[in-house]
Formats: sequence, structure tokens, C-alpha cells
Amino acid sequence: MYATKTFPLSKKKLALSENELVLALRQRDKIGAEALYDMYSSSLYGIIFRIVQHDEIAEDLLQEAFVKIWNSFASFDSSKGRLFTWMVNIARNLSIDKIRSKDFRNNSKNQDIENAVNFIDEQRSTAINPDILGVKELVQKLKPEQKSILDLVYFRGYTHVEAAEELGIPLGTVKTRMRMAIMTLRKFFN
Amino acid sequence: MEEIKTYIESGILELYASGGLNSAERLEVEAMLVKHPSLKAELDEIEKSLEQYAASYAVEPSAQLRQKVLGSLAFSESKHVAPEAGIINFAAPRQSAFFRYAFAASVALLLLSVVAIAVLYSRLQNTQQQLAVLQTSNQQFTNRVNYLNTEVDRQQMVLGVLRNPQYKMIRLAGTAQAPDASMVVAFNPAKKDVVIDLAALNMPENDADHQYQLWALVDGKPVDLGVFDKKDEDGMKKMKALENAQAFAVTLEPRGGSVSPTMEQMMVMGAI
Repeated sequence: MYATKTFPLSKKKLALSENELVLALRQRDKIGAEALYDMYSSSLYGIIFRIVQHDEIAEDLLQEAFVKIWNSFASFDSSKGRLFTWMVNIARNLSIDKIRSKDFRNNSKNQDIENAVNFIDEQRSTAINPDILGVKELVQKLKPEQKSILDLVYFRGYTHVEAAEELGIPLGTVKTRMRMAIMTLRKFFN
Repeated sequence: MEEIKTYIESGILELYASGGLNSAERLEVEAMLVKHPSLKAELDEIEKSLEQYAASYAVEPSAQLRQKVLGSLAFSESKHVAPEAGIINFAAPRQSAFFRYAFAASVALLLLSVVAIAVLYSRLQNTQQQLAVLQTSNQQFTNRVNYLNTEVDRQQMVLGVLRNPQYKMIRLAGTAQAPDASMVVAFNPAKKDVVIDLAALNMPENDADHQYQLWALVDGKPVDLGVFDKKDEDGMKKMKALENAQAFAVTLEPRGGSVSPTMEQMMVMGAI
């Protein structure tokens, strides 16, 4: 029914083309859910973990995100963007809601996120996903100001207005830096 | 085309793809995408690069999470149900099935109990009937045994008198008054005992106003020994004590007896 192929990360994992995946998800097929999980759980978990910095909470949020993705899949509109972008928005919003919630902030176990991000980047990114080549190389290609705007917006959910305030730069500069950062990514991955 | 180029170069598509716009700004971009399909290809490239960027920071969640996550999704069997409700419904039927089975089991148990009670009740009724029958027959046996005991006592007394050599058996013969009458008096001078054998009494019936009275002739004088009726029970009747006598006689007297015998009404007499 679907042209499944082995996902490079693991033998058991399912992978479908985005169109096949969207079709399976619309039909609410189990294989669609499995492929969705196998293809995107680690990327989504990486983003959630970067935001909440806590294994257990991140796993709960990942589950919550998948339930929400699955149950509100009818509202996904491919004319507005790719599936992954839509899913990242869901996962990111859930994670940000979580860290802004009272019970999360009151939990002394949660580390200071500001200080932790760079540490996590250095400690985990290369070690955990060795299949993706040249993360260090990529980080070297991205200028620090490009990386920080990318991480603020894409990983931490800042709007461009908030990012401008945070970095103390004009709105226009946020837009240009973001464009340059993504141009660098495009060049790097092609 | 120039307008689109400027739009692309503004960096707004990058912000859109990376989630940096507020909802109003997003709607504007979406309107532009509909209006200018060529923008979609550019957006697609931006999104792919971000996807790869995210993948380079991917972290594997723990292995058991996969089953947990997939377990919390409702698959196509329940796609007619509203998705949010689907999760609740997933667990609900199991619970209601449990209560259905529990209810069925309760009803079955109740029916079984009713049947058991009915059976036990009918057995109890039978037992009570049997018990009543047995009690009645037990009463009958008791009566019979009592009767036989009385009878045995009486016969024992008769035998006691008849077998005892100390008793003298005096036969009283009928007089002119009643030629066919006869009776037997047993007399034990040693024990001063006088007994009459009612079974061997052969005398006319006395009426309600009269009774027979037994007399002893002691040195020519009559001595009262008590009264009796023809209708008295069978067996031996003990009369008044007497030490010595030469003869016995019976007269018919007014009920209760007389002080001295009415000689005209003498029925039987006999000498020792």
C-alpha cells in the first residue's frame, strides 16, 4: 500500500514520503502513526528537550504533541506549509506553555534554561545524532548572530518582535539575519 | 515579479517557517501564498532546510515511549468519533463491559439464589409434614404403650392374687333373688386383704341409684367392706381391710351403701 523503506537511523523504523504519510494520517491508519513517530519523534524530541531541559517532562510533552497532531490532523493544510513545520509549531507551543506554567517554574529541579542551551548544544547535538554529518561544521558556518536568532525563534518560540527586543536590534535586522541564517542552512544541506 | 522578489528577500518567509510571526502576520503570508503560487517553492526550500537543521539536533527519546505514544492514539476503527472524545471512548467500553458482565453475573446469582430458596422451602415443607405424621404416630404408640402398661399392671395384680397361696378364693353363689349370679372374693387373712375379681363377676346390671355392697359375716354380724358397680373396670378391686370372716355376701343397696345390709336384696353369698 505504501512504499516503505528503512529509515537510516534504525532497522525497524518506518519511513514514507510526505504525500504517502499525509494520506495515511488522513485515513487515520496505524501505519501512518507509526511512520510519523519513526520519522519525526527524535527531531521533535530534540526541540522539546532544548526547551524544557528535562527528560520526563520532554517525553510527556512529546506524547502530548503526537496526540494533538493525530487528533487535529484535519486542520493540517499542506498549502500553508510542510507537515514537519506544522508539527514543530504544535510541539514548540506545548513546550513553551509548559515552561511558562506555574508548576514548571516552581520546580527547583529545572535548570536555568538561558545557561543550559549552549551546554546542551555542545554536549548532546553531536554525540546523540552522529548520522547527521557535520553539525560542528554547520555551527562553524553559521555566524554566532545567525545562530542565536535562529535558536531564539525556531527553538525557543520568540516572535521576531520579541527577538529584536531580546537582542536589542531593529526588526529589519532580525528579518535579514534570519534570512541569511537560513540561506546558510540551505547552502550547507544542498 | 519584482514585488515577489522583494517579498522573498524581506526574510518574512523565513520567519513564517521558523514560527517567528504572530497570527495576523501569518495570515498575511498565507494570503500571499495563495495569491502567488511561486512563493510556495521558496517556502518549501526554507522549510526543508529548517527540517534538516532540526534533524541535526535530534535526540532519541527512550525506546519504550514509542509504544506509549502509539497506544495513546485512536486508530481508524474509531475515526467516526470526535478525535478528542476518541481517547476517552477508547477506555470507556472496557469499563462498561466490566459492569455489563458484573451485572449479568449478579442477575445470574440472584436467579440461582431464588431457585435454591424455592427448593429448600419445598423440602422444609415436606420435612414438616413428615415430622407432623411422625409426631402423631409417636403419640399413638405412646398411648398404646400406656394402655398396655395399665393392662399389664392390672394383669400383674390379678396374677399376684391368683398365684399367691395366702389368698383364699371364695366363690359366692346366687341366692333365690338371683339364682344365676356368682362372683369370686379373694381373702388374705394374713394381710387383711379383700379383693374382688370384677372379670369373674356374673351379676345383673345395677342402676344409677343403687350399688352392690360387699359384706363379711364376722361372728354372726355383717361388716361393711365397701361398694362396687357392675360397670367398674375389669380386674381386681381392693375392698376394705378385714382380719377374719366366716362368710361373704353381696346386697343391692342405695348408692353409697347402707349401714346394715338389706337382707331381701341379697344377691350372692358364700362361706369360707
